[in-house]
Amino acid sequence: MEIRKEKKASALSMAIEGRIDTTTAPQLETELKADLDGVTELRLDFGQVEYISSAGLRVLLSAQKLMNRQGKMVLTHVSESVMEIFEVTGFSDILTIE
Amino acid sequence: MKRARSIRLQPKLLLGLVAMAAVLAAILAPSIAQLYRARMEEQYASLAFGQASVAADLIDGDRVEQYYRTGEKDAYYEEIHRYLQDVREKLGLKYFYVVVPEDEVMYYIWDAGVPGEDGVCDLGDTDAYYGGGNELMHGAFAVDAEQTILITNNEEYGYLASAYVAILNKAGTPVALASVDISMDMIDQQIRQFLGLTLCVVLAVLLLSIFAYYYYVRRILIRPLRTLHHAAIGLVESKMAALSDFRVEVNTGDELEELAHSFQYMVSELNEYIQNLSRVTAEKERIGAELDVARHIQASMLPCIFPAFPERHEFDIYASMTPAKEVGGDFYDFFLVDDDHLALVMADVSGKGVPAALFMMISKTLLKSAAQSGLSPKAVLEKVNDQLCENNEAEMFVTVWLGILEISTGKMKCANAGHEYPAIMRRGGSFELFKDKHGFVLAGMEGARYREYELELNAGDRLVVYTDGVPEATNASNTLYGTDRMLRALNAAEGGSCRHLLEALHRDVDEFAGGADQFDDITMLCIEMKSSGMKKIRLAPTLEQLPQATDFFEGILAEAGASMKVIAQVNVAVDEIFSNIARYSGATGVVLGCSLKDSKATLRFSDNGRPYDPTEKPDPDTTQSAEEREVGGLGIFMVKKLMDEVTYEYADGSNILTLVKSL
Repeated sequence: MEIRKEKKASALSMAIEGRIDTTTAPQLETELKADLDGVTELRLDFGQVEYISSAGLRVLLSAQKLMNRQGKMVLTHVSESVMEIFEVTGFSDILTIE
Repeated sequence: MKRARSIRLQPKLLLGLVAMAAVLAAILAPSIAQLYRARMEEQYASLAFGQASVAADLIDGDRVEQYYRTGEKDAYYEEIHRYLQDVREKLGLKYFYVVVPEDEVMYYIWDAGVPGEDGVCDLGDTDAYYGGGNELMHGAFAVDAEQTILITNNEEYGYLASAYVAILNKAGTPVALASVDISMDMIDQQIRQFLGLTLCVVLAVLLLSIFAYYYYVRRILIRPLRTLHHAAIGLVESKMAALSDFRVEVNTGDELEELAHSFQYMVSELNEYIQNLSRVTAEKERIGAELDVARHIQASMLPCIFPAFPERHEFDIYASMTPAKEVGGDFYDFFLVDDDHLALVMADVSGKGVPAALFMMISKTLLKSAAQSGLSPKAVLEKVNDQLCENNEAEMFVTVWLGILEISTGKMKCANAGHEYPAIMRRGGSFELFKDKHGFVLAGMEGARYREYELELNAGDRLVVYTDGVPEATNASNTLYGTDRMLRALNAAEGGSCRHLLEALHRDVDEFAGGADQFDDITMLCIEMKSSGMKKIRLAPTLEQLPQATDFFEGILAEAGASMKVIAQVNVAVDEIFSNIARYSGATGVVLGCSLKDSKATLRFSDNGRPYDPTEKPDPDTTQSAEEREVGGLGIFMVKKLMDEVTYEYADGSNILTLVKSL
C-alpha cells in the first residue's frame, strides 16, 4: 500500500494505492493520526485501492468519527468492488462518498 | 467274532490232547508187546526144554541107536510112542519127536503125531531142516550142550518155539535129539488182544478226558475270557459312558482273575485319564474361544473400513492384516494427526500369542497418542521407547516404521525402529526398497535414539510398508519368499488402486506358499499420493504470512481468468479469515487449499487451533451510525456477504472453513 499526501491549509488529501488489509491498515492509521490535527476537510482518493478489509474499515470508522467532530471526510473515486464492501457493511451510509 | 474265538481255542487244545494220546499209545504199545513176547517166548522155551529133557532122560539111547541102525520097531518103541503122544496131547505141544540129525536131513525115530494125520512121519522118514534148524540141532547134538531155543515162524508150521535135547547112550554119546515144538500162535493173538484192549482203554480215557477237559477249560478259561470279551465290547458300545461303574466278575483265582483285575484297573485309569483329558480339553476350548474373541478385538482395533477417508482425495490408502493361526503381534495403523498430517504405522511385536497381542495393544496406543500430540516421528519413537521400556519385564520388543505425511506438500518424515525397508514406487517407475537407516527396536533399550529422514511423495508415487510375514513366507520346500519376489509382484500389479496392489501381492504370497501353513501374520500397508485438484500451501499462522496467503489464492484465480472484482472479494475474505486464525486460534500451522471446478472456486482454510466456528458469530447491526458502530464481527460478516457459501467443520483436530465463490 502506498499513500500520497497533499496538505493545503486545513485540507488534507490522501491518495491510497493498493490493499487496505490487516497488515497495511495500521500504516494508514498511523499516517492519518499524524496529520489530522486541525484538518477540517479530509479527502481520501480510493481510485487505486484494490480492496479494503475490516481492518481498513476500522481505520475509516475512527477517522470518520474524528472528522465528524472537526469537519468532514470525503471518499472519492471509490471502485465498484470497494463500494460493494461499503454497501454490505452499511459503511456507505456512514461515509461520504463522492 | 466271539464264536470264532471260542471255537478256535477248544479244537486246538483237543487236537493237542489227541496227539499226545496217540504218541503215548504209539510208544507204549510196541514196547509192551515186545516185552510180553519176550516173556512168553522164554516161558515156552523153558516148557519146551523141560519136556524135551524129560523125554531125553526117559528114552534109552541104545535102543535109539538100534532103531536107527535097523529101522525095526519093537514093544519099547510103541511104549515110548504112546508116551510121547500122551504128553503131546496133555501138554498141548505142537510137535514132539525124536530125530537123528544127519548132515542134510533129519532122520525120524519117533513123531508123536496122530497116526494118519497129514505130515506125520514114521521111523525112518527124513525131512529137510528148516529155518536154521540145521545149525541149532547140530549145536544141541552134544553132551551138556547149551540150551538154545529155535523160534521159527513160517506158513507151513506156524509160529514155533523148538527145543532140542540130546539123548545119550550108555557110553554117554549123543545118539538122537528129543525135539519139542510148541506153537506160539496164541502169543500173536494175545498181543493183538492186548493191544486192542489198550487202545480201547486209551480211547475211553481220552474221550473222558476230552469231556472233562472241555468243561474244565470252559469253566476256567473260555467263560472268563468271554466275560472279559463282553465287558470290553460293552465298554465300547456304551461309548465309554459308564467307565466309573465298570466291573468284571472273574473269580477263577488264577492268572485270568489277575487279567480281569488289570483290565478293571486299566479301565479305571482310563476313566481318570479321560476325565482329565475332557477337563483339559474344555479348558483349552474355553481359552481357544477367548483367544478368538481377543483376535477379533485386536483386528477391530486396526482401521479396517475402506476407503478410510472418503472425503480426502489427496491420497489413497489401503492396509490389511492376515493373522496366522494364533493371535499375533503384527499391526498397522493410520490416522490423521490433524487436517494436514497423516500418520502411518507398521509394526511387529516379537513373539506370538497373548503376550504379543497385549504388547501390541500397548504399543499401538502409545504410538498413536504420541503421534497425535504433534511430535515428530523421531520424538514419537524415542518417547514410546522409553514408555515401553519402563515395565518391560517380559523383555518383549516391537519393530516400528513410522511415517508422518504432510498431506499438503507430500513431504513425509519417517523413522525406522528395526523394521523392514519400505518399498517406494515413483510415478511411472517401479518399486524399489528404500534402504533407510534402522534404529534399534522399541522397548529394547531405554534412551535409544532414532534417526529421522524425509521422503517426498508426489502425485502418483506409492509407498508400501509391510511386516516380515511377507518376505519370510515360506513354501513347502522351506524357501523364503524374499523381498525380490515381493518387488516383482508389486511391479507386476502396476496400476489399479492400493487395495488392488496389496491384494495382488497377497495372492502372489499365497501362491508361492502353496499348501504350507501361514507361519506369521501377513500385514501390509500402501499409500498413493493423488493429484487432488486442490492446490495447497502450508503457512505459519502469523500476520507476516498474510501476503503469501493472498498471493496464493490470487495467483490461482488470476490464472483462471477471474475478474478483478472477484479477486478483490476473495482477497478480503482471505484477509479476514487468515488474520483471525493468526490472532486468535493458537494454531501452529495453517493449510490453505484452493480448487476450481465448474467456474466456482473453493477455498479451504485448515488450522489446528482451538475449535471455533466463526459462522455462528451474530451479524453486526449495519444500520447504526458511525458513533454507535463497533468494528468487531464485521470481518466474518463481510466474508459471508462476499462469498457464495461459507461452511465450517471441526475434524481430525482441525478447524476447517470452506468458502465457495462463483467466478
